Amino acid sequence: MTSILRSASLPELGAAVWRATELGAAGTSTLATGHVVLDAELPGAGWPVGAISEILQKSGEHNEWRLLVPALRRAGIGSVVLVGAPHVPFVPALSAQGLDARRLLWVTTATPAECLWAAEQALRCAGVTAVLLWLAQARAEQLRRLQMAAQVHSKLLFLLRPVQAQGESSPAALRLLAANQTGSDALLLHIIKRRGPPLEQSLILPARPARLAALLAQAGTVWQGVENALGRIASAA
Amino acid sequence: MLWVALQALPERASAELVDGCTALGWWALQFTPKVARVGDVLLLELSASERLWGGRSALLRHIYAADKPVTGVRCARGSTSLIALAQLQLLESEVLSGRTQRRVAPDDLPLATLAAARPHLATLERIGCTCWGQLRALPRGGVVRRFDADLLDALDRAYGQAPDSYPWLMLPEQFDATLELGAQVEAAPALLFGARRLFNQLQLWLQARHAGVLALLLGWTMDERRDTVSQGELLLRTAEPSADMAHLQRLLAEQLARITLPAPVLYLRLRSLETEKLRGETGSLLPQEQVDGDSLLQMQERLCARLGNAQVLQAQECTEHRPERMQLWHKLAQGTRQGKLARSDQSVLYPSWLLDKPLRLVVRDQCPHYPGPLTLLAGPQRLETAWWDGADCALRDYFLARSEQFGLLWIYRERLSAERAGAESDSSWYLHGLFA
Repeated sequence: MTSILRSASLPELGAAVWRATELGAAGTSTLATGHVVLDAELPGAGWPVGAISEILQKSGEHNEWRLLVPALRRAGIGSVVLVGAPHVPFVPALSAQGLDARRLLWVTTATPAECLWAAEQALRCAGVTAVLLWLAQARAEQLRRLQMAAQVHSKLLFLLRPVQAQGESSPAALRLLAANQTGSDALLLHIIKRRGPPLEQSLILPARPARLAALLAQAGTVWQGVENALGRIASAA
Repeated sequence: MLWVALQALPERASAELVDGCTALGWWALQFTPKVARVGDVLLLELSASERLWGGRSALLRHIYAADKPVTGVRCARGSTSLIALAQLQLLESEVLSGRTQRRVAPDDLPLATLAAARPHLATLERIGCTCWGQLRALPRGGVVRRFDADLLDALDRAYGQAPDSYPWLMLPEQFDATLELGAQVEAAPALLFGARRLFNQLQLWLQARHAGVLALLLGWTMDERRDTVSQGELLLRTAEPSADMAHLQRLLAEQLARITLPAPVLYLRLRSLETEKLRGETGSLLPQEQVDGDSLLQMQERLCARLGNAQVLQAQECTEHRPERMQLWHKLAQGTRQGKLARSDQSVLYPSWLLDKPLRLVVRDQCPHYPGPLTLLAGPQRLETAWWDGADCALRDYFLARSEQFGLLWIYRERLSAERAGAESDSSWYLHGLFA
């Protein structure tokens, strides 16, 4: 018995062995996120299809659209169902970024139980590609139920939860903490859970449409120019 | 001529359906337009459809072997309707006696199988007349005088010497079926069980008409001994014609869950109000293209049925300058078709979340705060529109601002018209959108 084990050395086993220091295989199909930096750190190089991707944010902070729109606009032609969105989705901006307004379906429910039910119904529907669910509180078994529905019907399911949920256990295949970088407009991503080794450093994504980014950069230089000029005037005086 | 007689066994005819015999008739209409109902027997005249179905034997195989709406159907055939009926009765007596006979020639058929001879059966037997052939051999004038003209007439029809005609069965334009419940039903959700039989009947009617249902009315009659209203009804509507009974019953279940019955229900009645021809669906042979799950419209209707119509919204872009009116979130099936919008290239600079109502910001030292001081990055983008709307007049300067805590925001400063500027000195700032 021991001789058999010794004779098959680890490198010969090849792909059958997963080392804890490597990224795991996704197990399911994935969809590229549209952010190169993020793709490099995710198993299967993309959002897992048929599993929960959980995105945690501080209350009042919103970064979901710039994180998700690049993937959503390439994810098939089915509907994108929004359940329990915190504000009114602004369609002109979303369609300018490439997400067709006719694909959006907004379910404005109040109670968490109805949110969960509506999300599950949407996951079971053949004409739906992705479900975005904003949930303040949820028990682990409720999330497992959603996970099962997403898995059986191979749907993208993004769960947007407050940062307080970080300590709770979750069946999500991927958990991210999204925040604004202080002092700039970049998006700071911290991967809390993935199939692979923990990631120490945070990822920084610019994640703005090109024209908006150009406008912001221009604004930055203009303001710096104004401040420099003011400084020169002050020093001259 | 080719006649087929069908009879559903009475004990099985109404287990799943409201009226098994009628349902069988609707099903038989796919083979021939000449279907007649005589008592609980259906008569089909098939000679005109033989060629369409690929010959007599193929047609009969279809009818005998196909899945019928009612299980356990006896079939018999003959060259006239009365022969087919007589063969069916022979079949029935065989089952009762347990003997099987070979096919009987018309002349040898017992007189008991001819309905017109039944009143005179005893007399005929005493003169030694037991089968059709013997009766036919008697002189016609004597038979008319001794018995009646009906008997001769029936005999002529049975041998194909007189035309056979029946009031033919028609598929009704509107579905309307009533069901007496086996027991009094006290709770509304329990009505679903009885309604199942009505829905099965409806499905057959829809299949025969190749239609889907758009609006249905389920009515119920309650016990009149209670001193309350005696009638109740529920309207079911679907966005696109549907023949999917499982979906309709799910919708009905959602609606019934909200109803309380004032008195026990005795009768149910289901009517179709609007139907539409069903478009065929192009299926795919490739397994990977067959997605499971229900359609988008069915899902939306289910959500609407439980959450209410106002909770499930679809977007429509509008041509407007005011951001709050650039889009319309409307209920399902309310949107109007629109052409392509001329979208300005400014759209990409708009925020992805819009606040339902603009939030007034605190201003300290002429700088807007939310909750810390905001840095203005770009702007102003001047908006001056809707002056014709009076109070809705929008005079705003939009800015892109950054908050240390909440990231990029879309705020505006309200510019006041000349007369209002005098009254209020301070300009007001509002938060209108978030760049998420």
